[in-house]
Amino acid sequence: MRVHYYPGCTLKEKATNLEDSTREAMARLDTDLVEPEGWTCCGAEYPLITEKIHGLIPPVRILRQVEIEEGSKVVTTCAFCFAVLKRANKAMLDNPTLHTRVNEYLADDILIDPTTKEKRTHFESYNGDVQVLHLLEYLRDEVGLGHLKSLVKRDLSHIKVAPYYGCRLLRPQKEVAIDDPETPTIFEDFLNAIGCTVVDFPFKQECCGSYLSASMPETSNEPSYRVLNSAKMNGANVVALSCPLCYYNMDTRQDRIKEEYLEFNGFPVLYFTQLLAWALGADVETLGLDKHLCDPRPLFDIKQNAEDVEVNL
Amino acid sequence: MSEEKVKSKDELVPIFFMGKCYEVPSSLTIQKALEYAGYQLVRGCGCRGGICGACGTVFRYPDSYKIEVGLACQTVVQPNMYIAQLPFFPGNKATYNIADLEPNGSVFTALYPELYKCIGCGTCTRSCPMDIDVLGYMSKAIRGDIEGVAKGSFDCVMCGLCSGRCPAEEVQFYIAILARRLYALHMQPRSAHLKRAINSAEEGQWTEGIAKLKAMNLDTLKKVYSEREMEPHMGPEDWIPGDTNYVNVD
Ligand code: SF4
Ligand code: SF4
Ligand code: FES
Repeated sequence: MRVHYYPGCTLKEKATNLEDSTREAMARLDTDLVEPEGWTCCGAEYPLITEKIHGLIPPVRILRQVEIEEGSKVVTTCAFCFAVLKRANKAMLDNPTLHTRVNEYLADDILIDPTTKEKRTHFESYNGDVQVLHLLEYLRDEVGLGHLKSLVKRDLSHIKVAPYYGCRLLRPQKEVAIDDPETPTIFEDFLNAIGCTVVDFPFKQECCGSYLSASMPETSNEPSYRVLNSAKMNGANVVALSCPLCYYNMDTRQDRIKEEYLEFNGFPVLYFTQLLAWALGADVETLGLDKHLCDPRPLFDIKQNAEDVEVNL
Repeated sequence: MSEEKVKSKDELVPIFFMGKCYEVPSSLTIQKALEYAGYQLVRGCGCRGGICGACGTVFRYPDSYKIEVGLACQTVVQPNMYIAQLPFFPGNKATYNIADLEPNGSVFTALYPELYKCIGCGTCTRSCPMDIDVLGYMSKAIRGDIEGVAKGSFDCVMCGLCSGRCPAEEVQFYIAILARRLYALHMQPRSAHLKRAINSAEEGQWTEGIAKLKAMNLDTLKKVYSEREMEPHMGPEDWIPGDTNYVNVD
């Protein structure tokens, strides 16, 4: 099975643990992830002033490339990339003015085949026909959670996971929501399917501070701390998420949170794909667990190693 | 047929250079046409073969809004083109000692922080006379893929046309050469047989043979040369000469 996959820049440099575990897990689901040729940064944030079309150029170009390569869907794991691609796609479907202006700009593009050096200069309009899916949606709607469950090779029931949605997977509802933004279950359903113990907690849709950590770093300490603390108080032993920025705020910056909240002594954060790959029998080394500031390795029962798993097959 | 060809070669077409009209033979490149028109090109002209990148040129046709670009030595004149030469493009060039740089992904943004200003408009790709996917390699630079930038920019002649039209004022070609330097120095696999050959030379494996050649008089040397054993045209890949005094063989 071959499906287009848009990793986004962060997964190639900072969030390699998200990228590697995604690839590892999908390989175990017999899914070949294909990156659209020549993909660029999607813009990271959807432009709020769409009169200026330049913010829509990169995401629509990426989607058009998927279509050129005869893909009908594109899967992402980064919540930010997902929101940008999905909203840009929706703009092409719903907004005739933007559709015209973006396509007029993109009509002058030049596409150069990296191997044959062949040049392409004529493009059809992109009409929003590619389906943008978050990997959680892909697992639910394309793989099927029942089928996924049947492929699980390890027991994860001792891992008590607090699923953290953050903002980008659910809002704005009309444009991106992968589920009901008030009472979502897609993350919980996924975690149940791979056999984790799911912990509900009230901060699962609260903001972690988002990119405030870039402009006013200390401002993100409090919202991130509240999420982690809430998960902990509700009995979780790990937070799972899908967004590299949430991860940065809640794991990479944990030292700063500790400085501000003296009673806080660290809490592990995982990408949902690390749990997925582990459940499907991946080797612990493929998960990038050594990259985490708060070491999550104690949660991974290394005794259930890959060889034992193969024996059980 | 050939008469027609000669005729069309001789045909004069008008071009506009710095606002002035010149009648030039239609078969000339922009570069030759300028010289034909009486300009002496001292700068903005180098190899005349499409390799040095000195002759970046911007032009436009009267019936089109589109800005076109090319290398003056490679682009044949068209009637009524308006031409401007871009002999040197003043790009921001970081100073570094390549041997001191770590080949990691943040090297590009450390030296060229303006990299993040790229808005992905794709104008650079549209401007490149070498048909390089410039936006493609710039995107790889943003995500720290040194090998991707080095390979993707391999044909860059550093003409500066991409930079000249970039709304984010990027210096694509300097970022590209930084990647190729890093890749060549730190990442590219080393050639094992070259290393062995250098070692052999240093260990004196060929000293004696070369001394022998040096001592020959010219006629003997010519004879030895013309009678040397040559690799057969359709020889097998693992062909080795009978006399292995001057080569390393496994
Ligand atoms: S990448 Fe830029 S500098 Fe290099 S050949 Fe193309 S236009 Fe010229
Ligand atoms: S022209 Fe400049 S801003 Fe536009 S895509 Fe190229 S590097 Fe980015
Ligand atoms: S003169 Fe060298 S590329 Fe034109």
